Amino acid sequence: MDRIRTRLRAIFRPEGDQSLLRLQRRRKLVSALTQRVDLIKWSFFLVGYLWMLALPSQQLGRGIYIDENALQPGQVNTYWNWGDVAAADRYLEQLEGLRDANASSHLRASTLAAEFMKLGIPASTQNYRFSSSVGTVEGTNAYAIISSPRTSGTEAMVISASWVSRIDEANGALNLRGVSTVLALAGFLKKYSLWAKDIVFVVSDGHMDGMQAWLNAYHGRTQSNLEADELELTSGVIWTALNIDYPGHSFSHLGIFHEGINGRLPNQDLLNSLTWIARWTVPVIIYDHLETPRLQIPSWMPNSLRDEIRTYDYRSRNVLRHVKHQARGRGSGVHGLFHQFRIDAFTMFALPATGPHGFHALGHIIESTLRTTNNLLERLHASIFFYILTASEHFLKIGSYLPSAIMISVAMMFSGLKVWSDSAWVMSSDEKGSTWIQRRRPVLPVLVIMFSTHILGCSVFALTKTSWFINNLKTSSAIILALCGTLPLSALFVPKQNPHTVAPMSQLLKALNLCFASTVISITTVVNFSLAATLAILLGIPLTVSLSSSLLPLRLGQYGAYLSLALGWLSAQEEIRSALWDWQILGVWFAPFVCIVYTPLVLQAAIACLLPV
Amino acid sequence: MNPKCRRLWFSLFLPLAVLSLHNEVFDEQLNIRSLPDGKVASRFSFTTVLVGASPPTPQNHSSQDDPRHYSLFPLALGQILHEYAVTEMHLTLNAGKWNYDHWGYPDEDGVGTGAELWAWMGDGAVSTVDERWRGLRNALAGLFCASLGSLDELRTTSPTMMFAPGALSNRTSTHSLRHASLPSEHVCTENLTPFLKLLPCKSLSGIATLLNPHRLFDADWHGMGLHVSWLPQQGVQVKLTFQTISDPLRPQSSSRDWSFASVFERTIQRSCPVATSSQIVVALPFGVPYTINPQPSLVDQGHAIFDVVQSGPLDVSLHWPSGFQYSTTRLAETTFSVRRTLKGYTQDNGQLSVLLRNDEDSPVNIAYLETMPWIIQLYLHTLTLEVDGVSRNDLLQNITYIPPVPHSRATLFQIVLQIPSRSTLKLTMDITKAFLRYTEHPPDAQRGWDLPPAVFVRLDGRPQRRIYAPALLVDLATPDFSMPYNVIIFTCSLIAFIFGSVFNYLTRRFIVLPVPS
Repeated sequence: MDRIRTRLRAIFRPEGDQSLLRLQRRRKLVSALTQRVDLIKWSFFLVGYLWMLALPSQQLGRGIYIDENALQPGQVNTYWNWGDVAAADRYLEQLEGLRDANASSHLRASTLAAEFMKLGIPASTQNYRFSSSVGTVEGTNAYAIISSPRTSGTEAMVISASWVSRIDEANGALNLRGVSTVLALAGFLKKYSLWAKDIVFVVSDGHMDGMQAWLNAYHGRTQSNLEADELELTSGVIWTALNIDYPGHSFSHLGIFHEGINGRLPNQDLLNSLTWIARWTVPVIIYDHLETPRLQIPSWMPNSLRDEIRTYDYRSRNVLRHVKHQARGRGSGVHGLFHQFRIDAFTMFALPATGPHGFHALGHIIESTLRTTNNLLERLHASIFFYILTASEHFLKIGSYLPSAIMISVAMMFSGLKVWSDSAWVMSSDEKGSTWIQRRRPVLPVLVIMFSTHILGCSVFALTKTSWFINNLKTSSAIILALCGTLPLSALFVPKQNPHTVAPMSQLLKALNLCFASTVISITTVVNFSLAATLAILLGIPLTVSLSSSLLPLRLGQYGAYLSLALGWLSAQEEIRSALWDWQILGVWFAPFVCIVYTPLVLQAAIACLLPV
Repeated sequence: MNPKCRRLWFSLFLPLAVLSLHNEVFDEQLNIRSLPDGKVASRFSFTTVLVGASPPTPQNHSSQDDPRHYSLFPLALGQILHEYAVTEMHLTLNAGKWNYDHWGYPDEDGVGTGAELWAWMGDGAVSTVDERWRGLRNALAGLFCASLGSLDELRTTSPTMMFAPGALSNRTSTHSLRHASLPSEHVCTENLTPFLKLLPCKSLSGIATLLNPHRLFDADWHGMGLHVSWLPQQGVQVKLTFQTISDPLRPQSSSRDWSFASVFERTIQRSCPVATSSQIVVALPFGVPYTINPQPSLVDQGHAIFDVVQSGPLDVSLHWPSGFQYSTTRLAETTFSVRRTLKGYTQDNGQLSVLLRNDEDSPVNIAYLETMPWIIQLYLHTLTLEVDGVSRNDLLQNITYIPPVPHSRATLFQIVLQIPSRSTLKLTMDITKAFLRYTEHPPDAQRGWDLPPAVFVRLDGRPQRRIYAPALLVDLATPDFSMPYNVIIFTCSLIAFIFGSVFNYLTRRFIVLPVPS
């Protein structure tokens, strides 16, 4: 035993000056790492990207579970029956009448309010008008509030339906069945004394705008481009909201839409409750993605692999859709507006089909879900706000997706630091041989360049906000492209400095740019993972691989490539229009983020190529 | 006990009882009215008067050390009143939000959500008013099984203008008021049982038979009250009240007919033998056909009056042959209405917004009282008054403000306002939300903090009615108590890391070492 101990000590604590040994050990370690920094960097990139690819895999993540014990989903008898379905049908006829008569927003809302009042529920309407450079939007919301018996009315839950449905906004599909469900539910829910919270019914006009106006008025938030009536009826603090979207004739599946604006997500317990409640009646999916095989899988593949591929295909569609909604910060529906007020909300989307489900199944599920949220004693607070739903019953925890983007950001940081430390040294060869000599690294001019690109980004953003930009999208895009394309060319005229005393600016700019981009990505991961992942893909390798060269055509070629990466979004005109609408009406940060953060970051890399070596 | 036997007992003991009862009078009354939204409001009131008695004061406290012999007056309550020398006291326990627009003014003013207790007590005793107030709270908490003990110094104020004493007007200098309310108190059966115990006939006979907990606690609104006051001409009066709003339309929304059997699921079988009077007063509908059963013994000014003492078993019912339809216009049963909301969604600040509507042709003067716990601090300089978007600070006539003391004293904010005729006055004031010490968070589920209802009084109307605005809920910044271990682990790691590195650098000796490469 003693022998083993002495041998071990000889390995881990060799004889000699301990401090000296430690210094040597540290130096060895550091040099071993610095020699392999390229290897480390590229392996981080590789692992990060592979991890991103692996997100839809069956092997990552786990099945859903209910974390909040108070919810107790699916533990109640439901009483919604065919009489209520008939009531919903009658409301539907009335709404179809309104639609066919091409009734104005105001007439529609007052008819709805009158219907609520006929049920003995206080109701009111709210007019609103948004003005923005993209155009003005106006409309009228109808809402009603059931004051629950015996409660102080300090808490509330919302059931909402927007007049226009989520699918294909331009198509103008009306959410008539969703609205009639809300009306029929109002008459039904009023018959029970078991509600512990007030129930607020909102039929919002338009798609997103109506609810934004209503929520702003409810919470007393002012928005400079919004003129809206004050609400005549109010209730308490809203904890949860269900949005119903039922555009078709019947439905086959219930789809969950949950992404909020600016990348917020509702507490996952709420979504899990619905999945749990509906599991024996209606299949629950996420978005409107049906699990239908799209790929022709060769027959020679083993069954297990075939299954893996099929699930991967299905889940990758879900993950991509999630990234699409979350990265643009637009949210996937009306529910997304609630999240900004700490209200957990999601949309139940009745996937249009020829059958077999209708009002009966939907009513049962909503009733049971409301009973579940009615059970809440406190806000949903357990920390399952960070997740990616890969399927309705399967999700990724924060720990299984976050590292992918972080690894890419770490790799970028390493490459930035490598460039930074390399730029301090230059090989000097004279007759005695070559030695490394240290040189200055002036940071200030580089920071000025970086800062001015962001200023440029700000002015581009200011330009996009004007109505002139929107009205002359083609001309103005060309102007922006010309402006952002020519201004950096002045970098070509920066005088070349002695490389033996001063580090070249192109290297310093590249180093700082990489470090800054890496910081932006790693901070964004927690706020909006999808945006961070998109940035990691768009910026990760491209910013790292830029070469500084003395050949002018090569430099200009690289510059052109970066420029198209930075301003490629100018070609997506519809996207610009909707991003600007989102920013001005809903306060979605995507448009300013692209102009002020993303474009300047890529422009910096472009300038780094232009600067003399 | 067969009926014959019972009659014998009565004939034996009734004269004796009457002899000893000569100075105590017990009356009971039930008022029922149908409301425009189809609901039914009922008010039970049980009054016991100790004829010729004077209220307990600190001065007569020690002299009256004799045992109290009450026959009808509730002994448990009498002892409390005597022990803490309470001259006047009002306790209400309510569940629900009284909807003035739909239901009009209540028969009893005290309809604020949750528990409310206020008492006038004389000065000059051995123990101070505050000590006796604490004792009173705890004694009543025990008596009514309610969390009245939580009505502590953090919630106690003294708003004398709103809560004037009944017959003490010339004594206010020697008496002081203590008032506190607890909006989060829930009222249920455990409060009703002790309430019934204070009645001479419990719920065995008389009107109190109808107090069926299964129905009362299923009502849209219900509340009980205990009012002790001194009437100089009569004596000390104890009034126990119970109000409910029940909804006959809840199961089927076509008929608003009601009967005792449908509203209370009970009928009156016999009258309370010790009651001097026992009346049921039903407000009759006006201008619509109806039938009332059985025939009332008296109809007076649109009210049908039934005498329970005279009649046998009683099940009053009211039937509308014409059915019922909800009104599609907004109801406004009162000419003055209030809407109070807390705007804002952040955890550190917000805005209190109060809309006061006056539907009368003349301006009205209103006193407005807020008694906020210290967790909400008002910014008085941001107080604005607007009518139709025009600033009208001239409408503010008087302002009384006692600022909160963090962790110990509640805010008292009281203003007198004039509301112009046929207009809506909008009052807004910014507030800040306190950051609590972690031991100040309650151990329960964190739903937020209930703020007591505001009280409004019309100053020019007689009688002066108190109007309660609904309670509010405020979210304060709250740590996630559901995962204390994560928090502890994170914090400890951070502290250990910082401490470790600082300690290392402080105790390390720095020397120059030549390192062979």
